[in-house]
Amino acid sequence: MTTSLLALDGIGKDYAKVETRGGRLRLVFDLLRGHGAAHVFRALDDVSFTMRRGESLGIIGENGAGKSTLLKVVAGVIQPTRGSVAVSGRVGALLELGSGFHPEYTGLANIDLAAALLGLAPSELGAKRDEIIAFADLGDHINDPLKQYSSGMVVRLGFAVATALSPDVLITDEVLAVGDESFQKRCIAWMERYLGGGGTLLLCSHSMYHIQKLCTHALWLKDGRVERYGPANDVSQAYLAYHEEKDARAHRPLGADRAAADGWYAIDTLTIDPPETIEQGGMLTVRGEVFSPDDRTPVVLVGIVRADGTPVYGVATDMEDAPPLQIGNGRYAFSLAFPDVALLPGRYKVRAHALDPEGVRLFDHVEQTLTVTGATRELGFVRLPHRWQTPA
Amino acid sequence: MTARAADGSRLVGRTGRPLSGARDRALFVNFLRRELTTRYLGSVTGFAWALLSPLALLGVYYFVFTHIFRATGFAGQSFVAFVAIALWPWLAAQEALQRGAISIAGYAGMIRKVAFPHEIIVLASVAATFVLQFAGYLAILAVLRISGEPIHVRGLLLAVPVWIVLLIGITGLTFLVAALQVFVKDVEHVLMPLLMMLMYLTPILYPLTLVPEGVRSWVAANPFNWVVGRLRDALLDGRLTLQSTDALALAVAIALFVGGRWVFRRLSPHFEDFV
Repeated sequence: MTTSLLALDGIGKDYAKVETRGGRLRLVFDLLRGHGAAHVFRALDDVSFTMRRGESLGIIGENGAGKSTLLKVVAGVIQPTRGSVAVSGRVGALLELGSGFHPEYTGLANIDLAAALLGLAPSELGAKRDEIIAFADLGDHINDPLKQYSSGMVVRLGFAVATALSPDVLITDEVLAVGDESFQKRCIAWMERYLGGGGTLLLCSHSMYHIQKLCTHALWLKDGRVERYGPANDVSQAYLAYHEEKDARAHRPLGADRAAADGWYAIDTLTIDPPETIEQGGMLTVRGEVFSPDDRTPVVLVGIVRADGTPVYGVATDMEDAPPLQIGNGRYAFSLAFPDVALLPGRYKVRAHALDPEGVRLFDHVEQTLTVTGATRELGFVRLPHRWQTPA
Repeated sequence: MTARAADGSRLVGRTGRPLSGARDRALFVNFLRRELTTRYLGSVTGFAWALLSPLALLGVYYFVFTHIFRATGFAGQSFVAFVAIALWPWLAAQEALQRGAISIAGYAGMIRKVAFPHEIIVLASVAATFVLQFAGYLAILAVLRISGEPIHVRGLLLAVPVWIVLLIGITGLTFLVAALQVFVKDVEHVLMPLLMMLMYLTPILYPLTLVPEGVRSWVAANPFNWVVGRLRDALLDGRLTLQSTDALALAVAIALFVGGRWVFRRLSPHFEDFV
């Protein structure tokens, strides 16, 4: 198909920055004269993409990157400052379920209101109304005022209204599955039917799983600009890689010099014995030095996590009254032995965290990788003490 | 900026586009019903209050002006009929402006999340006020007529068009104050004393002939003077002939409407950020 369903060309959105009361008056004059605001924040800059029927697009990016603003532009809630949007088809927006509802109205009256807001003429609503009532499945509550509904009931009604309009493009903002479990199943079933029938999603999500499962394309927004746009798998993997790199930077060991300068508690050294590899059931010793900027004894937390980050076990010096020993000016040492490592074979990390003397604030962590070897077919990651018995 | 798709399908940016079609009418009817029901839903007296409060006001004016000031000079007409004919349209205008000024804020959640023409909010707010006040007007005219006041029923032929001209002009002004209020919150506070002063400067409680000659032309230039004057001509005197000022008043009303709506349309795309 050659015609695009949705085409954005060079979209930019500026928000006026107004600090003073006089600034607001000034802004009004600027807007009336057809000028833009004098001081602006660029929420979006030069965003372009096209969507064809059946080509769902996922928008990803950090908080404040402009994802919601972009969805609002496509939904027509806000007008872009620059660029153009062309839509051929009906756009349904699930920006916030139930946002067009009125609390004093009954569920039924709210269906009429929401349908009018979504651009459905009364003549078109007739047949759809029963469909909406059936999908929302609220029973007699449909005749109660909305203010008596639970929040779950409100979103059910909202989802039922938005989806009954069979939009060509459905814009959603992290609201794929709402309500209780049985309603969530119906939401997902609806979504699959919608996508299977050639429907197109414009989805904004922090879940790369959803992006990869539901979307063919993805667009990564960073500070209001397109960082990357292309097939969903490529873009979402690039986004994840960016985050891993960023996390790694954030967790680099501090080193005593910087720690002292910033007044932080820091792990200086961490060694494990035996290094790197240990036989299952062997003895593991974790030793290290920790720095204190104010000569107060810090708390050390030693933990073992699986290679994917799942915590297995952790214990801190203040839990068992075993404070690190002072060995110099601001330097403290700790040593922790695990006589019988019950870990099942696999890859693990040993982590040491430096905390303040109160054991409240976490300052720094350093880790060493540990591989546990052994021949066993047991499942999980820890051997629990156990015995098989003769059934009574 | 919005653009039309290559195949000529509909525009995006519903917030700024003009009203048209059955969908927007459905939305208007819905908002109007919402305005009418929510305004009086919480009050015990309900819709009756809309009729009773101007009546109470009329009673106070009657007491103050005929029993304390002992005012005369109503050209042989009763004070109650003289004031009542001008009071209801004034209250309609005043209430429409005051409610309209803050009407946008009542739809803040919707403006942030849903695309719809914002003009409908103001239109529904003004329409709700005028529907109620005009109903009250007809009721008081009927009561006056039954109680023997010389009300000319045929005068409605002119009175109704005068109300329509008033509605057009006030709608334009309400567009203006509603749009400004979103950005400058002082508008609503300035509006009340301003309207109070304007009421006493308009010949509602007194005839124009009592105004000293030196300032009479200034008072007469007030567009609202045309409204009360023409209503009294029609309903009290039974004079239905058109005047040149009628065309002028219509022109002023249309100018206010066009101007107010222009300001509203310029500012409404930015409501989402400020409500």
